[in-house]
Amino acid sequence: MISGLVQILLFQGLGEVVTHFLLPLIPGPVIGLILLLGFLALRRSVDASLDQVASAFSRHFGLLFVPAAVGVVMFWPHLRAHALAIAAALVASVVLTVAVTALVLKALSPGSRK
Amino acid sequence: MTGQLAPGFPNIYEIWVYLSGSPLLALILTLGAYHIGVIVYERANRHPLANPVLIAIVLVAATITLIDMPYPKYFEGAQFVHFLLGTATVSLAVPIYKGLSAMRGRIAPLLAALVAGGLTSIASAVGIARLLGADSTIVGGFVAKSVTAPIAMGIAERIGVSPTLTAVFAVSTGILGAVLARFVLDAVRSREWWQRGFAIGVAAHGLGTSRAFSVNAEAGAYSSLAMGLHGVLGAVLIPLGARLLGL
Repeated sequence: MISGLVQILLFQGLGEVVTHFLLPLIPGPVIGLILLLGFLALRRSVDASLDQVASAFSRHFGLLFVPAAVGVVMFWPHLRAHALAIAAALVASVVLTVAVTALVLKALSPGSRK
Repeated sequence: MTGQLAPGFPNIYEIWVYLSGSPLLALILTLGAYHIGVIVYERANRHPLANPVLIAIVLVAATITLIDMPYPKYFEGAQFVHFLLGTATVSLAVPIYKGLSAMRGRIAPLLAALVAGGLTSIASAVGIARLLGADSTIVGGFVAKSVTAPIAMGIAERIGVSPTLTAVFAVSTGILGAVLARFVLDAVRSREWWQRGFAIGVAAHGLGTSRAFSVNAEAGAYSSLAMGLHGVLGAVLIPLGARLLGL
């Protein structure tokens, strides 16, 4: 578990360095992700420790954005004033996104055409 | 209260002052609320509406309002949890890597669907919110909301919109996607598990993905692939697009 965590932290650090000096437009962790992906592709395998850490993170991803999302208390009056617009935009956008993605996949996949 | 407790034993007020000055209180609050959320979610047979993240957010927000703790003060302690978002984002490389081999032969339709879905998500949310009179702060929060929350917040910082609103909208989107996707997919007659999973992942990132995994393993794998690809592509293209459009 520790060696997996070290690998991930190293790639995160590398990502931060790259974003700071070379590519300020892309968030550091995303560059870290891409670099780690490249590393895995070169090695052609995921070692057990890394796998363990990654699945622990993905199981509790949600916990990690609680602190930021609690900031909603600062926007509360603002959000309430626009409740209808927000609700409509959220619901319609999810429905349309799922529908469009599924329809494009269906149209472009030869196997599933009738 | 009946005056002082035994000598040498600090009274409750002193403990309170001591704890609220350290990160411990915010950490206990955050993890405790999430723990309660997980318990409720399990008790509710993993019903998507009993989302543990949503429960945790409501509990923490209610508690800090009740005890009059300013948000910046709370965040000072909770930032240690927040920091791990970046680390968790990097670890997404693992599910993406595992999904890549399954993707062979389907790359073109998957990428086309991802781009179409991603654009639909931004255009529809921003368009509807503007149409119904939301101001620019709120509209800005919608731009990255279909991208997985940690990346979405990174994007929000880069394009100068509120990362907090983005996170809140991203979580809401995930919950809505987890609840609604099934009905939408049935309505458009999507039958293949990999297509259903991918569509959920594009629209509803992490929360949609955990839902997809609980329904079908293939759908879950494609959903996490979609979430990862959407995150990477969004991180690269959304700031560029925002700059080009002069937002």
